[in-house]
Amino acid sequence: MIAPIAGRRSQRGLPALLLSAALAGACGVEAGAQDRGGAADLHRAGRYVEAIAAYTALVAGDPESAEARAGWGAALAAVGRYRQAAEGLELFLAEHPDAPGIRLGLGTALAELGRYAEAERVLGAEVEHRGRDRHAARAELGRLRLLAGDRAAAVAHFDALIDAYNRGEARRAPELVAVAAACRHLGAEDPQLFKDALRAFDEAIAADPGSIEARVALGELFLEKYNGTEARGEVEAALALNPRHPGALLALARVLHFEGAYAAMEQAKRSLETNPGFVPARIFTAQLLLELEEYEDAEAEARRALETNPRSLEAQAILAAARYLQGDDVGFRELEDVVLAANPRYADFYNLLADACVRNRLYREAADFGLRAVELDPKSWRGWGLAGLNQLRVGEIESGRANLERAFLGDPYNVWFKNTLDLIDTFARYGEHRSRRFTVIAHESEDELLAPYALALAEEAYDALAPRYRIEPPTPIRLELYPSHADFSVRTIGLAGMGALGVCFGSVIAQDSPRARPRGHFNWGSTLWHELAHTFALAVSEHRVPRWLTEGLSVLEERRARPGWGDDLSPYFLAAWRDGELLPVAELNNGFVRPTSPEQIGLSYYQASLVVELIERDWGFETLLAMLRGYRDHRSTEEVLRQQLGIELEEFDRRFETFLEESFGSAKTAFGPAQARPEEGGGEGSIELPDRSDLETAAREQSGSFPAQLSWGLYLVSEDRAAEAVPFLERARDLYPQYVGPDSPYLLLARIHRERGDDEKAARELRSFLAVNETDYESRLLLAEIEEELGDVGAALRALEEAIYVYPLDLELHRRMAKLYAESGDATGLVRARSALVALRPTDMAQALYDLAEAHHAAGEPREALRQVLRALDIAPAFGAAQRLLLRLHDPAGGGGAGEAP
Amino acid sequence: MTGRGAAVGLAVLLGVAAPGAAATHLLVVSGLGGDETYSASFHEWSLNMIDGALAAGVPLSNVMYLAEDPSRDERRIAGDSRKATIESTLRTMGDGAGADGELWIVIFGHGSARGGEATVNLPGPDLSGGELAAILDTLPPRRIVVVNASSASGEFVRLLSAPGRAIVTATRSVTERHAPVFGKYFSESFVDNQADLDKDGRVSLLEAFEYARAAVERFFEGDQRLRTEHALLDDDGDGRGSMTPAPAGEGDGVVASRLFLGDRSAIQAADASPELRRLRERKDELEERIAELRARRGSLEEGLYLEELETLLLDLARTNQQIERLAAPAEESS
Repeated sequence: MIAPIAGRRSQRGLPALLLSAALAGACGVEAGAQDRGGAADLHRAGRYVEAIAAYTALVAGDPESAEARAGWGAALAAVGRYRQAAEGLELFLAEHPDAPGIRLGLGTALAELGRYAEAERVLGAEVEHRGRDRHAARAELGRLRLLAGDRAAAVAHFDALIDAYNRGEARRAPELVAVAAACRHLGAEDPQLFKDALRAFDEAIAADPGSIEARVALGELFLEKYNGTEARGEVEAALALNPRHPGALLALARVLHFEGAYAAMEQAKRSLETNPGFVPARIFTAQLLLELEEYEDAEAEARRALETNPRSLEAQAILAAARYLQGDDVGFRELEDVVLAANPRYADFYNLLADACVRNRLYREAADFGLRAVELDPKSWRGWGLAGLNQLRVGEIESGRANLERAFLGDPYNVWFKNTLDLIDTFARYGEHRSRRFTVIAHESEDELLAPYALALAEEAYDALAPRYRIEPPTPIRLELYPSHADFSVRTIGLAGMGALGVCFGSVIAQDSPRARPRGHFNWGSTLWHELAHTFALAVSEHRVPRWLTEGLSVLEERRARPGWGDDLSPYFLAAWRDGELLPVAELNNGFVRPTSPEQIGLSYYQASLVVELIERDWGFETLLAMLRGYRDHRSTEEVLRQQLGIELEEFDRRFETFLEESFGSAKTAFGPAQARPEEGGGEGSIELPDRSDLETAAREQSGSFPAQLSWGLYLVSEDRAAEAVPFLERARDLYPQYVGPDSPYLLLARIHRERGDDEKAARELRSFLAVNETDYESRLLLAEIEEELGDVGAALRALEEAIYVYPLDLELHRRMAKLYAESGDATGLVRARSALVALRPTDMAQALYDLAEAHHAAGEPREALRQVLRALDIAPAFGAAQRLLLRLHDPAGGGGAGEAP
Repeated sequence: MTGRGAAVGLAVLLGVAAPGAAATHLLVVSGLGGDETYSASFHEWSLNMIDGALAAGVPLSNVMYLAEDPSRDERRIAGDSRKATIESTLRTMGDGAGADGELWIVIFGHGSARGGEATVNLPGPDLSGGELAAILDTLPPRRIVVVNASSASGEFVRLLSAPGRAIVTATRSVTERHAPVFGKYFSESFVDNQADLDKDGRVSLLEAFEYARAAVERFFEGDQRLRTEHALLDDDGDGRGSMTPAPAGEGDGVVASRLFLGDRSAIQAADASPELRRLRERKDELEERIAELRARRGSLEEGLYLEELETLLLDLARTNQQIERLAAPAEESS
């Protein structure tokens, strides 16, 4: 120990050296543990059944041994047998009122059972009698006072612990853990104490490296501050000591959830396998179930928690959240009354509600619940944070920022708060551009380039989607484009590392800008369209649409928007379908919210879009709207599907399979058996091909095999035998026309035809390729080149216009477009292309501005022409052509002006 | 970087207050290519430089081109690019230029750093930065521009920097050893005045540098590759190059913005009529007033600035129009 912990009122100045000396003598192993011998070791190793048996034998052998009795109680509590432990310890305490080590175990067991008053009495006695466990008892007493809403009393207990520490009384690991817990709670009053909590935990671990409780609590503290890496380290260290420790298992589940890993639920179940009465694990599981929109299961889990602890405020809050999310306002209010009667300052009731709302895309409601939390407890920094973060999500930037700053002031170690505030600070360097219904926010390095395209596309999408969804979501809709993927990730989840391209909060959309990823990695236009389609599904369903349906609709809307946009029939999907790995529609949501593998998310997007496509085809888009309204009215997926489709789910799955067969059955057959499993990721990636030695034989014998045809075609191309390759490549193309990987037959055929001078055929192949592929930039440029050579300037321009949505940062792209617009007499297009060139800040800015001025002049926009020519001359006053334009603009009749120089 | 006073002092020292008054002498050196692709590129870039210089008014007699293989283009290559040839050519050219002449040395090739010393790879022994500095120290011209567009050239800034010199390197250190593309764009900048960013009819060293720097940036960005070269310019004699020199303010770029290949003003007819001379004086005065207005921009309200600018620019445009009308018949008759 280096320095005393800074209590709110305390004897802070105890000499550090004195404390160090006092601690130096502290032993890492409790004396009682040695007596308990093997039983304690069994307990520590997580061999609880054996530990209970060993302690039972010890108790039977020495009924008067307090240590044996305490160990027995702790072992029973570890597996959730709180009642039995409490009864046994209570009896023992009645007969041995001065027995050491009993009251803490009894008090905590009673607290687990919700018998708070009894627990406080017993724990209070331990404190009063200055028992061995008085510090741990105090920490528990403080916690119980907090649960009762008596913050003043709680703080008094915690302060007392800090005083004890500063007096050098807290030496053993459990005592230091108690001090750390006190500091952690007091951190709400003075964030500096979070650091003290860390230090006390570290000292506890130093005092007893085997202290699992210290490591678990420390891990949870790290996680509370969004420091997943450190949290994982502590939790893994705890599990290395005791792989069955319920608290450590639960902490790992929380870490996994934080990391977005899919095994969080399973991990929580492991905790409950050890201790079925472990209320925190039940609560966590119930929260996960709420996220999965499995409200009934969440409620069931909360009720199981209440079976152990009928007074658990968290369990009741879960029930309230489930009621709320299912639209049961009466049920929600009843629970709200119960919880607030038990603890009128229980801000976490609303915080839990806010979290549940976030997970269910109810951001407005989440912000409001955050604000209600801080009404109850102005020191609920979590509440301020939830309010602020969700206000930012619904576009209330200033109030969101103010509330987040308040949260950060109280909890400056919260990484989410800090990252988000840091990001908002950079908003000063973002430009804001408006159209009728949209506001684009983009970084100053690219806002002038992107905003015109983003606004035009967004307006087009709104015009297309509003009549289709029969709703006009509130405007303005805010589109935020981030040139750094990490910034986009922070905007969304508070941390870097999110995999998605875009996110829709309803009236706020955030996404990667084209600069955020390498060229050809994504199509920012289709991403924008996708996210905006969510706005409509959210609006119709009042934010209650499940993931599978809104994603399916968005992908479908992408496909409708432009040829090639939206997910397509990837090799990975074909393989999953062939291998029976697609989810039935009733479970499709799990593919998004509880995927069994990272790839399953990608599969689920495409599958959901096909499900939606089938419903639209056979039942009509009206049915999809009715489904959205069904969700709005809190119907479950099963109810919605049954009600709107009029068939059972099994029947729908059969029809979906038929739909797949009709649509892609031949591709699946051509794709062949299991050896042609693609690499992870699917999408537009390449597939694995057979060995070259047998390529020709395979190609000739298996005319219906896509891999065989493509492999031999590829080989022939590599051997400069292009003419021979053509029939094989054409067969491969026809067998699996949706295959648009980098070795797509379309591309190879286009190249061969181009080299042979057959541009018509080359263009045809490229058009077909780009009707499926949305990210290939170079092919769009090549098609434009060929179309231009074929004399179809309009087609060339269309190809280039689509290339902008892949990569708009290429000067040459806009130069080509400007040339073609000029040739085709498209004045508006010419202005757009030349504006883009200016926005790209070319080296010769004066020339670019002059060209833009000329374009405006040609478009009949003299005011804008004048503005731009002055900008050009501001850079290059001697620019003759610009001077002449300036004269023309001032004296149009003079055709260049003939004014006299003074 | 030096302070403002030092930069002004250098400008005076360089005599750049009267740009183009001194004759420009240009030595282009194409080093060892290593393979034909590079040899051909270096040759092409060298010709770009030479053609740009000739178009800018540098007399053919003031231009020398040394290359690894003179037989590649015997008509234009004056000799081999061995170290000894370079040294003797520099001495001859330096003497020819005299103290008031301006000597430009442009090197295309590969560089390396053997034993910690930055060199240019040549047929025979390489030329180190220290050796080139020793030669330059003995030459009469007070104004010397060295452009080393080879790899690992960054160290040349430190080795060659001196009052009266502007040094450009394609890389910022000896560790940037990939063959740079800077030379391609730098040489290209003089072709058809491509880098005439202020449209005054000529390309300054700073404009050429800016043009090439931006083109290199786009080259790497477009190809989505990690950038392996960062060009430097040093013209304030402090031995520290800048990657973002500026034409105004303090530090690198001020002098380079007033260094031009050739003397285009000399092309203008000296026998202009009194009216033409009056108009040209008026033009110069307006350009000066515009420059002053731009310098005051920060202290002016934007609307007012633009209003004044427009008035001056209109005046300038009308003056230029009259100059063109008066000058055209004279040029036609000549």
